[in-house]
Amino acid sequence: MPMADNHSPEYYKGPFKRIIWIVGAILIAGTIASFTVDYIYAEELTFKQALYFGLGIACIKATAVILYFMHLLWDIKFKTISLTLASTVLFFIGMMWLTVGSEVDSVKPGQDDTTWLHGAQKDIKFKGDKSPADPTQTQ
Amino acid sequence: MEIPYNSTARPDTGLYNGKVGIWLFLASEIMLFGAVFSGYVLLRVGADPGIWSMGLMNKWVGAFNTLILIASSATIVLAWVSLKLKDWAGYRKWKIATVIFASLFLIVKWSYEWPAKFTHYDITFKSDEKAVEVFSDPDFLGKDYEAKLKEVWHKRFDRDEKDWDKVDLKDKPLDGHIVGYYTKNDDGTEEHHPVGEAFGLSFWSHALAWRYDERNEGRVTGAKRDTFLKRGIVAIDFEPAHGTWPAPRHAHAGAIRYAELKGGSKHDGDDHSAHHHSLRIEKSQISRLSSYEPAHSTFFATYYTLTGLHALHVFGGILVMLYHLLPVSRRVYEADPERFTNRIEITGLFWHFVDLVWIFLFPILYLL
Amino acid sequence: METTTQTEAARHDHHESKEGHGHGHQHFLTKYVFSSDHKVIGIQYGVTSLVFLMIGFLLIMAMRWQIANPGESIPVMGAVLENIYAHNNTGESVFKDGVMSADAYNQFGAMHGTIMVFLAIVPLGFAAFGNYIVPLQIGAPDMCFPRINMASFWAFFAGCTVMTVSFFIPGGAAQAGWTSYSPLASVIPTDGQTYWLIGMILLITSSLLGAVNFIATIIQLRSPGMTWFRMPFFVWAQFVTAFLLLLAFPPLEAAGIMQLMDRVCDTSFFLPSGVFDTGSTPMAVSGGGSPLLWQHLFWFLGHPEVYVLILPAIGIVAEILCNSARRPLWGYKVMVGSVLVLGFLSFIVWAHHMYLTGMSAKVATFFQTTTMIISIPSVILLTCLFMTLWKGSIRFTTASLFALAFLPMFGIGGLTGLPLGFSFTDLHLHDSYYVIAHFHYVVAPGSIFALLAGIYYWFPKMTGRRMNEYWGKVHFWGSLIFMNIIFMPMFIQGFAGLSRRMSDGGATYSLLQNPDVTSGALSDLIIKLNEYITTGAFGMFLIQIVFVINFFYSIRHGEKVNGDNPAESTTLEWQAPTPPPHGNFDTPPEVHGEPYAYSLPGANSDFTPQTEKNRPETA
Ligand code: HEM
Ligand SMILES: [Cu+2]
Repeated sequence: MPMADNHSPEYYKGPFKRIIWIVGAILIAGTIASFTVDYIYAEELTFKQALYFGLGIACIKATAVILYFMHLLWDIKFKTISLTLASTVLFFIGMMWLTVGSEVDSVKPGQDDTTWLHGAQKDIKFKGDKSPADPTQTQ
Repeated sequence: MEIPYNSTARPDTGLYNGKVGIWLFLASEIMLFGAVFSGYVLLRVGADPGIWSMGLMNKWVGAFNTLILIASSATIVLAWVSLKLKDWAGYRKWKIATVIFASLFLIVKWSYEWPAKFTHYDITFKSDEKAVEVFSDPDFLGKDYEAKLKEVWHKRFDRDEKDWDKVDLKDKPLDGHIVGYYTKNDDGTEEHHPVGEAFGLSFWSHALAWRYDERNEGRVTGAKRDTFLKRGIVAIDFEPAHGTWPAPRHAHAGAIRYAELKGGSKHDGDDHSAHHHSLRIEKSQISRLSSYEPAHSTFFATYYTLTGLHALHVFGGILVMLYHLLPVSRRVYEADPERFTNRIEITGLFWHFVDLVWIFLFPILYLL
Repeated sequence: METTTQTEAARHDHHESKEGHGHGHQHFLTKYVFSSDHKVIGIQYGVTSLVFLMIGFLLIMAMRWQIANPGESIPVMGAVLENIYAHNNTGESVFKDGVMSADAYNQFGAMHGTIMVFLAIVPLGFAAFGNYIVPLQIGAPDMCFPRINMASFWAFFAGCTVMTVSFFIPGGAAQAGWTSYSPLASVIPTDGQTYWLIGMILLITSSLLGAVNFIATIIQLRSPGMTWFRMPFFVWAQFVTAFLLLLAFPPLEAAGIMQLMDRVCDTSFFLPSGVFDTGSTPMAVSGGGSPLLWQHLFWFLGHPEVYVLILPAIGIVAEILCNSARRPLWGYKVMVGSVLVLGFLSFIVWAHHMYLTGMSAKVATFFQTTTMIISIPSVILLTCLFMTLWKGSIRFTTASLFALAFLPMFGIGGLTGLPLGFSFTDLHLHDSYYVIAHFHYVVAPGSIFALLAGIYYWFPKMTGRRMNEYWGKVHFWGSLIFMNIIFMPMFIQGFAGLSRRMSDGGATYSLLQNPDVTSGALSDLIIKLNEYITTGAFGMFLIQIVFVINFFYSIRHGEKVNGDNPAESTTLEWQAPTPPPHGNFDTPPEVHGEPYAYSLPGANSDFTPQTEKNRPETA
């Protein structure tokens, strides 16, 4: 019969305490790493690099917390909960892409809006339209 | 009547009630913080150059608080493990440690970090000429003010150094502290007032008290809170922040008096009062004056909302943990150790979530 | 932790030693007011929400009077309102001489929407029926966390109080519509909006506590044998609803906090740079915010919210139709699947409320596609309900009449939603009375009919007495006719271009006031329809009086029912004593079969309760 967790008291006395210290060390190391890198290289790193680095470290730390401190790793519902978490993250990214996308006009200045035109229609010129900018000539 | 599966797992789901409840609650918490995060992303992506003012965050404090919260996360696991091993004394020890760490986190945030921001002001100028007037003051940055301004501005707003030309000089802020102000009497003479104490606390006369926006001028209705209008101020004594700007060479009368008030030396040029040197900035030069309060900019609005919401969670967590240290809890533990252990596990899960949120807040609010 | 617990052992849990509640002599306060019994809480929710349903209706009655008779004082209530109602910022009554001003119209309109959605339908459908029925239907002794359940109700009550109080503060209630779009909502100088936000935060807290409780209860407390696919459809509907509340409400809470910051701390979350309020200079705020952010966060809740309004209703209808047609639910598993898909999809369609914000065409395409896809499971649900009736011998009780009428009414509401889901048709219909008609067909003759059906259906279980059938039928036919008189003409008005939220009912744009305009003005007929609709609304009001009297009379004097299962139903709530005591069942019921075993071939009677051990072979 599955139980919430089936580790013996010995496990909690020994190995588990060690795990706590290791995870704690990872978290501290992560914090110090992201802090010092920012402190020393703030000038050199571009925003993008800083973003990937900062969030990357944060994700590593978060995973450590979730798996060990929240002991999801040996929780019976590991699959359900971690899948849910993963899909939440994906959902979040997808929806942010959409909402941010909805504010960005998909048609760049100087480009024709052909979203609703198909095939041959794309060549149709409307009365009063300026002739579409030749892509080779812009810039 | 007893509700089944309060302390034992239901065989087919493998979970006891509290655990189901807490994971569901955390799911909704994820949506709550996720929504504010999404606001952060949307506002930041849409922000015009020169708005996202995060270069001035105190990273030391941020890192310190991160470490504290991590420590508390570790200690609460240890508290739970102690209970699993039926060791009440150990539980108490680790739980108290957790509470102490958590309280330290809040103390740092609420008595140091936020108040420091509330006394820190930004000034933007009416026109480029007025901005140049102030920056190139021979007592302040002098003729080649631009290099220093550029350095500061890039650090604050633009780490990729690509937006300098997109923002007018007048919108590039000067930050610092207000140490005094001038009012005009009916006979045309000016009177100087030091910013000293209010309610017996020097903090409140600096903090949040000052706000000016030229757009409020001449407004009948709907004027936002505006100190300059109310007090008839004509100029302020402004001390540029030491961390960012070189100290002005000359001290105004007001600054000296402020120094006296604080018990400093009276002599101009004396070493002790050197860092009280200030600039006189006319109201006619200022377009907007705001402390680093939520109304300062969307960045600070997001910052306070996110960290405030997070701090409320920390606060709630502390209350629950204190409850778990009371004699009542001891009795609950004695009556049904397993159930109490479960409760601690649940509190722990919540606490780790609070920690998780902070793990992401730290880079996005302090480092990037 | 290493013990393997048997079901039985867990049932009788290990806490005998702790306490033996003395249920017999509880104090009145703990028994009826601060109770943690799910049935008492359900009834508390029910009564509160019915009261607010009435208040919301009275608000709209006053507004309808104003639309039909612009500038005339409201009979009777006008004078009362002038005296008791809040004054505006300049100290003048918004009901001067008993006439509803535009300010007052805006306040009533915003609060009508808010009250109907958050204080009436959701608490009635989800919290009241859910609380009372769900634990009974899954054979649980109570909710998983009874004290959190109580906290949920009291948070709700506090929210209601704040909302109600906001009518009487200086300046009056919120005026920016139930959608509270910023920048408008952020810059209105009266305090109503601030109260609204605080009220909403309380209500959301309450929903979250409730939702956690419902889901945990359904997962953990199903009685022995009650497997997932033996749960009545109503429980499934509530399960999905709870998930919607759990996951969709927090973003609105976040948005509410941000708007509160905008109003109280002068931040600019939703205020763009250079935004004007009054006068010729821009507001003195930092700017840099995004009004669209509010809309995104609001509708991220808003769309799932419409399913919160409708799913419990569909659940109730499913229960009643099976019972009155004496047929199993047609396509039970398909319906369960549909409702799950619906729940998921409802999170990715929200921006169909925002086509007019100038979103890029590609994003609009995404949301049109998902919107069309989500209509499929809705149609499946409706079809299955119709098919359930097929070859049934229907018992036409009041409950079943309301449930039956739900089907075409919800159908009309749903079908008229499709044109709103396409951006090119929505350009014309957006913010017109067509929208009002569409969603009211879903929530008024839709949800409300289902909820009334539920009241008639479960009344005997709750009180041991029936409501009067004759007056019930009068109530039904009256409501059906008047509902359609009210909402059908609104489609026509909407097509003609009448905008919603107009305190003069469109008179400004009528041909009467603009005789020179050649096209686009509203014809006399369209304006005339306003009066016709208002008459319908008054009829609707009168017929509800019948219901109110019937309801209260029947509690004490209704016909007594025989036995615990007067509806001859199969589901567990009818196996409990009537009315069920604290703790519900004398012994935990054991479930042996599917929820809708009606008219099983080879069975002794035309219904086989879920607890029945001897079941005919095939189902
Ligand atoms: C039979 C009773 C009802 C009548 C006669 C009625 C009538 C109306 C009318 C005429 C409007 C438009 C007001 C305007 O735009 O100026 C309106 C708005 C609205 N109604 Fe109802 N309604 C009823 C029941 C309901 C119910 C049960 C709900 C539940 C969800 C509801 C939710 C709303 C909402 C959300 C709005 C929009 C408010 C706004 O513009 O912000 N109504 N109602
Ligand atoms: Cu929608």
